[in-house]
Order: sequence, then C-alpha cells, then structure tokens
Amino acid sequence: MNGKMNRKLLIVLSVVLCLVLMYACTVTGIASISFVDANRILAREILHLPVDLEGISSGSITIIKNVRLPRVILGFIAGAGLAVCGAGFQGIFRNPMADPFVLGVSSGAALGAAIGIVLHFDKGFPGMSGTTLLAFAGSFLTIGLVYNISRVGKKVPVSTLLLSGIAVSQTLSALNSLVMLLNRESMDQIVYWTMGSLNGKGWSQIGQVVPWTVVGIILLLTSGRELDIMLTGEDTAIQLGVNVEFLKRKVLFASSVITASIISVTGIIGFVGLVVPHVVRMVAGPRHNRIMLLSLLFGGTFLIICDTLARSMVAWEIPVGIITSVCGGPFFLYLLRKTKKGGGF
Amino acid sequence: MSRELLNCRNVSAGYGDRLILENVTFSVQEGEFVGLIGSNGTGKSTLIKCISGLLPLKSGEITICGKAHSRLKNRERARLVAVVPQSYHVEYDFTVEDIVMMGRNPYLGLRKKERQEDYEIVKNAMEMTNTEMFRGRLYNELSGGERQRVILARAIAQKPQIILLDEPTSALDVHHQIEVMELIARLNEKEHMTVLAVLHDINMASRFCRRMIMLQDGKVAADGTPQEIINRENMEKLYEMKLVIRESPMFHKPEIVPIRVMQEEQVGGRCRIHVICGASGAVRLLEELDDRGYELTAGVINQGSEDWAVCKELGLKCVEAEPFTPVTEEKQKENLELMKDADIILVADVPFGIGNLMNLQGLENMSGRIFFHKNALSSDYTGGKLVPVLEKIGKVKKITYFGDHDEFLRILKEQEVNSQNSD
Repeated sequence: MNGKMNRKLLIVLSVVLCLVLMYACTVTGIASISFVDANRILAREILHLPVDLEGISSGSITIIKNVRLPRVILGFIAGAGLAVCGAGFQGIFRNPMADPFVLGVSSGAALGAAIGIVLHFDKGFPGMSGTTLLAFAGSFLTIGLVYNISRVGKKVPVSTLLLSGIAVSQTLSALNSLVMLLNRESMDQIVYWTMGSLNGKGWSQIGQVVPWTVVGIILLLTSGRELDIMLTGEDTAIQLGVNVEFLKRKVLFASSVITASIISVTGIIGFVGLVVPHVVRMVAGPRHNRIMLLSLLFGGTFLIICDTLARSMVAWEIPVGIITSVCGGPFFLYLLRKTKKGGGF
Repeated sequence: MSRELLNCRNVSAGYGDRLILENVTFSVQEGEFVGLIGSNGTGKSTLIKCISGLLPLKSGEITICGKAHSRLKNRERARLVAVVPQSYHVEYDFTVEDIVMMGRNPYLGLRKKERQEDYEIVKNAMEMTNTEMFRGRLYNELSGGERQRVILARAIAQKPQIILLDEPTSALDVHHQIEVMELIARLNEKEHMTVLAVLHDINMASRFCRRMIMLQDGKVAADGTPQEIINRENMEKLYEMKLVIRESPMFHKPEIVPIRVMQEEQVGGRCRIHVICGASGAVRLLEELDDRGYELTAGVINQGSEDWAVCKELGLKCVEAEPFTPVTEEKQKENLELMKDADIILVADVPFGIGNLMNLQGLENMSGRIFFHKNALSSDYTGGKLVPVLEKIGKVKKITYFGDHDEFLRILKEQEVNSQNSD
C-alpha cells in the first residue's frame, strides 16, 4: 500500500510541476513584456479575475493570449502525444529503440507536406492549410502501406512491421529529396517544415489536433495492462487472454492518429517520442499505465521547455525539432552503448 | 462423476506444409494428471501450442469443457487453460507480484482495475507455490527454480480448469525439478487441478503421472498407466536406443535405465559364455557381453535379484531358483546341463554363501575355460568352504582369476584375436 501512495504522490507532483513550468514558459519570451504585466494579462484573460489591464498595450495582450499561450498549450499536446505514442510503440515492438516515426509516419507526412508546399496548396483552405491536410494524408497512407505489406494472413509479425517501416520510410525520404531537388525554390520551406516548429501556431491548430489526440490517447491509456503482458512475449500474451493482433492494430491506429495529427501541424519533432518514455521507464518501472501517464506529463513539459529555448535563446527562431534532437541525440547514443550489453534484437 | 475437460479429435497441425501432428485423438478427464511423452520433434510442444491457441489446427477439433476451441476468444480460453512453459525469461523489470497478477488478465476488462478479489487470488496463488516471500522482488533476478514457481503461481491465478505444462523442469537442477513436480502433484491432489504435462524425463513422468500418453511421429502411439506404457518395446521404439526397464525399488513405478545408443563392436560370434551370478554385480557385464554378440546363458539365479532381472530383460536362457531358496542339486544339474557346451564359464562378481555355493559343484567336469572374479573371494560368506571348493576344481582345471570386468573383456578380446590368427 505504501508503494501505491508513493505512486500517487509522484503523479500529483508531476502534474504540479507541469503546471508551474507551463506558467513559467508563458511568462518568459523575447518580446518585452514585464513579468508583472504578463501575470496581469493571464489573470484577466484566463482566470477572468477583475484585474485592471490599463497601461498594457493591446499588442502585449495579443502576444500573451493568442501567441504564447496557444503555443505553450500546443507544445504540451504535441510533446505529450508523441511521448505517449513512443511508449506505446516501444511496448508493442518490445524494442527500446522504437519511436512514433519508426513506421515511416514522419517520412509520409514530410512527403505530403513537400508536395503541398511545391503545389502551393496552402492557399484557399480556411481553417486548415493544404500542407497540413496533405501531410496528414501522407502519414496515414504510409502507415496503411506498411501495415499491409507486413501482413501475413490475419497476423502482423512485429519484426516484419519494423523492417518494412524502415524500408518504406527510406523510400519516401528519397522521394522527398527528389521533390526538393526538382523544386529548388521551395527547398528552404520544405527543409524548415521537416525540422519542426511551433512558430506561428495558434488556437485553430490546437482545434485541429485536440480531437484526434484525445481519442488516440484514450485508446492507448486503456491498453496499459495488455501492453505490459505483451512485454513478456507474444505467445504468453495469447495464453493470458490478450487479443494480440487486435491490440497491435489498436496501438498502431491510435499512435498513427496522434502522430499524424500532431506532425502535420508542427512538422517533424524528433526524439521526444524516443527519449521521454525511456527516461520514465528507468524511473517508474515497466508498467505501461504509469509509463504512459508520466510520459504524457513529461513529454509535454519537455517540449514546452525546448520550445521556450527555441524562441528565447536568440533573436531569430530556432526550429524546436533541432533543440529536441540536440538534446535527444546524445541520449540516443547513450542508449546504444547501454543496449550493447545484450537484449533487444 | 468426473467430466471430460479436454477432448482432441483427429487433430492435425503443423508449420507451413509440414505436418507435425496427425490425427491425434485423446481426452482428459477432470482431476487427471497426464504425462505427455515422446522423443524430440514428435509434436508434444506443438500439441500444447494447439490447445493453448497459439497454432491453428489444419483439421480435427479440440473441445475444452465442452466448448469448441476454435470459437473461443483468447480471453475465454485463458480462463479455461493456463500454460507453464519450459523456461520463461522477461527482459523488463516486473516484480513477482506484477507477473502473477498478469494471470488475472482474462478476468479484467479494458478499463477495469484490479479488485480486492484479484489481489486475494494472487496472494493465495503465491502462498500455494511458496513465492509469497519474494513478491516484491524483480522476476528477472530470481533463480530458475524460483521463476518456475512464480509462473506456476501465475497459472494458478488464472483459475483455469486445466494446466498445461511444457517440459516445466527441463532447465532446472534435480532439487528444483522435484520441487516443481511436487508442487504440481500437490495441486493435482489437493485442489483437484487437472494437469497435462509434457515431460521428457520418463522416470519423472512415471513417478508423478497416473496416466501417460506417448506420442510418436505426430501420432498417439500408446495411452495408459505408467505400468502399461513403460515397457521395453515402447521405450526402444521411442528412443531408438538400448535401455533396461525395471521397477524403481523406491517408488514402485517402472523406470528406465538408458544404456547406449551406439552398438558395441560385434565380436562374440561363435563363443558361448555361461555366467554364474545371482546378485547385482553382473548386471553391466551381462548387458555388455550380450551387446557384443556373445551367446549367453546363466544360472542358478534367485528370482528378484538384479542379475535375474537383466537376464529376463535380455531374454537369456537361465536356470532360476525361487527367491532366498538355496540352490538344490536338481537345479545345479540343470545348470550343468546348460553350461555343458559353454566355451567359457564365468563366475561373476557374486558373494558366495551356503545357499549358492552349490553353483560351483561339478564345474571341474566341464569343458569350458573357467574365469573367476576376485571380488567373489573377498565376499565369501561360506565360513571357509569356498576356497576348498575352488581348490578341488583347480586340481582338474585351470581357473583364471581376474580383477574387474574390463580386464575380463580384454582377455576375451585377446583370445578372440588369437583364435582368429590360428584359423
């Protein structure tokens, strides 16, 4: 029972920490809005407290309300979503190197986005840009393709899935490079997209992402116990009553929906989905209910911090994907060294 | 009344085009402890896979508790059948309690949390298998025997109607083998759990199971009690090797003594050897001489001795006496008749007492060469009568004394070579 109390305490503390960091990231930024003013704006606009906003420019209010706050919230959703997908993928593949992009979702999205950019699709779609739509479609087509290539009858062997994911992913990346070479004038824009950024994202993007993400996360959070059992082997899972193929489809579908909806808006933000579930597993043990819940909290927080760094370190904006990868790359190497001891494949 | 829990009818299954099981038919009643035996690759594990839902059938039908196997969902099947595999490795840091709790999965819905009832069932299962003291420890830090007990606890937590075990002890040392088997036997006796166990150790199967099913080449070759199944014919078919079957003096169950797979060089040919034995010292020599192709006879042997059992096993012509009765003159006459044509008369490692000294009477009139094991001299319980008997024989014939069986075999071989040279 003591362990249970500790676990609850850990989760409560994590939630508090996340909220504090979200707040801190909202009030920091490169625009010259004072700490006190930022707090006043938040108190008035978010908590609807009777705070006087006199002396604060309407520009500042807009920056806090429609630029920073949605950006922080979208950052949290993106980080949380990617980290939970990573946890789900690592569980279903029983492989610590798996991340949400391992099946080529990102390459598909990038190719879709590249086509959208090249064809200037982004004009004439109210609410959702053509690039976003094509990126979403691209990632979904990719996952469908990979799944169907790997399928043997009703079953989908995990190793085949991983390998065909890598193969399809490579092919799509090559096509993406070809698109860029043939359209050199759009190259900058495409490259910038693939690096991932939360720049210029507002409430409408949040509206596009939230429904998918919520559905996906609920699906994943209800699979925790069965994912635990999957870790002990597929045969054992069947003998313990898990509908293994259904679980695979469920996790693949949920993760794809989440990942596709997020990266079609933000571009490819790497390493969140790999690193966060890993760190959480080291701290909290192998049980997925805990891993996924904590990944959600820490993934979101991690991305907010990275994004705050991205927009505050220098006068111009660094794509957040670069920050997460700079943090994640060395960690990936550390993992590689660690898993050399054995285990995995 | 016992009811039928498991029924396999004409089950055929395999991998790809290769058929491993062909028309396997048997049923298991409630409360039975059935051992599934067979040599490697005969489909024992495949059968377990079929019953536990890992491998679809090519044809035939399995029913569990009256329900058609093919219509059961994994979850429903897991409430009826639990599996304990050979050895079970988990790379992740689950605690023992986590692992045992996984056995409750078939009873828990997607969103449902573990209830108090589940915790109690898990606790009971751990108590039953003596694993409660390490419930909080990490599973992958346990020893092989401890792990196997934890997996048994998980199977118990599934509250199944039947437990399938796939060579549950093959990765364990003797202590832990017996421990796991005793746990299973206790579960079978006290909780009336029905058990179907693949066992590669025949003696273990014979000792613990009340019924055995022998698979061979994917078919049921025999089905019955250990006494019915474990006979020389079945076992030699199964293992394609030379072995001896005897009743275990400890458990009163048949047991096998594996002897050899590769045959000894055939040298015996025309040579006839009569062996005087009757305790347990000649067992190996009898078997080895027989294997080399010598024509053997023996006598007079008391029934029930180990030498006697081997003679029966090898089908040798021998003169027998009832247990613990002295060798009479009539018996010895029969014996002399038998050794009349022998090229060699071998007195094996046998203690002599008043009862069997008669065995040596009249040897001096035989034509065969006499070999005498020196051990027989040191285990002389005749009150000094043995030596005079030997001296009497020695006056007429040469007695060759030898120290151990290998020496005797060497002498025999030399003699063989000499006789070939002189031909």
